[in-house]
Amino acid sequence: MGSAEAIRTENLAKTFPGGVEAVRDVSLAVQEGEIYGFLGPNGAGKTTTVSMLTTLVRPTRGRAMVAGLDVVQSPREVRQEIGLVFQDSTADGELTGRENMELAGGLFGMNRSECRPRIEELLTRMDLVDAADRRVKGYSGGMKRRLELAVAMVHTPKILFLDEPTIGLDPQGRAGFWRYISQLRREQKVTIFMTTHYLDEVENLCDRIAIIDHGDIIATGTSDSLKERVGGDVVELRVPATSPDLTTTLGAVPGVREVSRDGAVYQVRCPRAEGIVSPLVRACDAQGVTIEGVTVQRPSLDRVFLALTGKAYREEGYDDGRAAQASAFGGRARRGR
Amino acid sequence: MFLPLRSLLKREYLRWVRAPTWIVAGLLSPILYLLLFGQAFDLGKLVPPVPAAQTGLTAALLGAPNYFSYFAVGMVGLVAVTSALFAGTGVIFDKQLGILQRTIATPVRRSTIFLSSLIFRGLLVVLPIFIVLGLALGFAQIPGLAGLTVTQTIGATGIVEVLVAIFVLAIAFTSLFLAFGFLFARVESYFAVVNLLNLPILFTSNALYPYGTSPQWIQNITAYNPISLAVDVMRENFFGSTYYAHPAYVYLGGLVVWAAALGVMALLLASRALRTK
Ligand SMILES: Nc1ncnc2c1ncn2[C@@H]1O[C@H](COP(=O)(O)OP(=O)(O)O)[C@@H](O)[C@H]1O
Ligand SMILES: [Mg+2]
Repeated sequence: MGSAEAIRTENLAKTFPGGVEAVRDVSLAVQEGEIYGFLGPNGAGKTTTVSMLTTLVRPTRGRAMVAGLDVVQSPREVRQEIGLVFQDSTADGELTGRENMELAGGLFGMNRSECRPRIEELLTRMDLVDAADRRVKGYSGGMKRRLELAVAMVHTPKILFLDEPTIGLDPQGRAGFWRYISQLRREQKVTIFMTTHYLDEVENLCDRIAIIDHGDIIATGTSDSLKERVGGDVVELRVPATSPDLTTTLGAVPGVREVSRDGAVYQVRCPRAEGIVSPLVRACDAQGVTIEGVTVQRPSLDRVFLALTGKAYREEGYDDGRAAQASAFGGRARRGR
Repeated sequence: MFLPLRSLLKREYLRWVRAPTWIVAGLLSPILYLLLFGQAFDLGKLVPPVPAAQTGLTAALLGAPNYFSYFAVGMVGLVAVTSALFAGTGVIFDKQLGILQRTIATPVRRSTIFLSSLIFRGLLVVLPIFIVLGLALGFAQIPGLAGLTVTQTIGATGIVEVLVAIFVLAIAFTSLFLAFGFLFARVESYFAVVNLLNLPILFTSNALYPYGTSPQWIQNITAYNPISLAVDVMRENFFGSTYYAHPAYVYLGGLVVWAAALGVMALLLASRALRTK
């Protein structure tokens, strides 16, 4: 991982004509080589933020640097350095996968001999070799998503932007897609900025996260650090019913924040469960109590979101987000054919 | 600029060759016009075969030896409009499918995107025009069929004037309809406006029938109609300048002004549609 910044924004904001404050204040920094998750419910301003970072929407206030370039001052140079996977599939269904990739290469000024090996490599990586010469309109949802990735990577961008890339995929398809993304990051050394409204996605995939709600960043950090902020992990210990009360004993173990008892089950809160389980077990042993069972619960981002916003996180109604994306270009959203 | 332009043109071409119905229908309709309307209707038959009346007919047909010859040249204008009608639909579909957005997100110049549409759609206008002219000339060689008879010897200048007129006419109408493609988000709105324009453009021209009989105000419009201007360039070269107030290049000049104006309008609407919001 490099140490340079791939993306930096300062108080980035966008108010659409008509007064919709889609993004109010977004300041964040993404390091080179990271997978950065941009998490938020529908209508939070994720697509608008990505559109500003990718020069498709002009910020109303604030600044954004992408690959060291100002998105307003040098939009063409920024475009040369980035790859983009939209919420909706944008490959041309009448063209084959390979033709779509050749088109992308040509648009970035690559000639045939530059394109060829790169396209073969990406087709192999994305498991699209067999489908490469078939028209994209016959591809499955998962294949289309992989092709979008391949198309976005043809010109070897430094930064890849993915806007809700797994929307519309089934759980298996999503898990598969994550594997391809991790693989890309490993092999192509590309920084990835991805938006999502799936909590599990950022937990499993992203090095760091920003949570956006109503156009404002409400938290940034690693998924662990965010969880620590809402009380950290919970270690649950089950002891024989005949045991003496252990509340004080457990509370005295270094690192323990809070102990609560429910019959023979103790709940021990601590910032991180690692390294605290064996001291807990030893403390019980010292009291002559043999532990019958241990479980560790990590808080979900669900709870993080609830704690930060006071609202439960909902995963519904993605259609309005799609409509908003297309309407920025005077078009109407249309679901894939 | 060259590599991106070539890639965009190749995409248009691939989409085109993969829609055979579209191609066949597009090329067949002008042929049907020529075969059906052109053969069925002969304005000359309405005129009594007396010398005075026949001279009047020749004047009305601006020197053309028969109505089919007059009409076949006018068909160039009709085909230019009817083929260009669809020029803006591709842009609208690209908007709706996000393909335009994907293109905008690359370093390709906005003017290159516009140019690729103009070139490809323009070629789709020029192609049926040449088919129509070729067929009409061919018909003249087939006994029993009305055909386009050229009465003048056309020099190199004449050929250049005719070819330039055809290309410039194609640019003018392709620009016009492309502009609406960049303007509208929906095919329905697009065709509503295009259909509204389509007939007035055709019927205020002298493409299909002599306009000596129409009221003066219509004649004034007709004289400046881009179709009339293109058709005048061709008819004057094919049938002689007796009935024309100006040499052909004057009409050609007028047509170039039209094409430039419509081209600039389309470019402005395109850059408005493609700019960062
Ligand atoms: N072009 C636009 N014009 C007006 N409002 C818009 C436009 N694009 C998005 N919005 C509004 O801005 C807000 C944020 O939208 P968006 O960035 O698409 O959210 P997300 O991607 O997180 O779902 C929404 O309220 C949306 O309706
Ligand atoms: Mg969105």
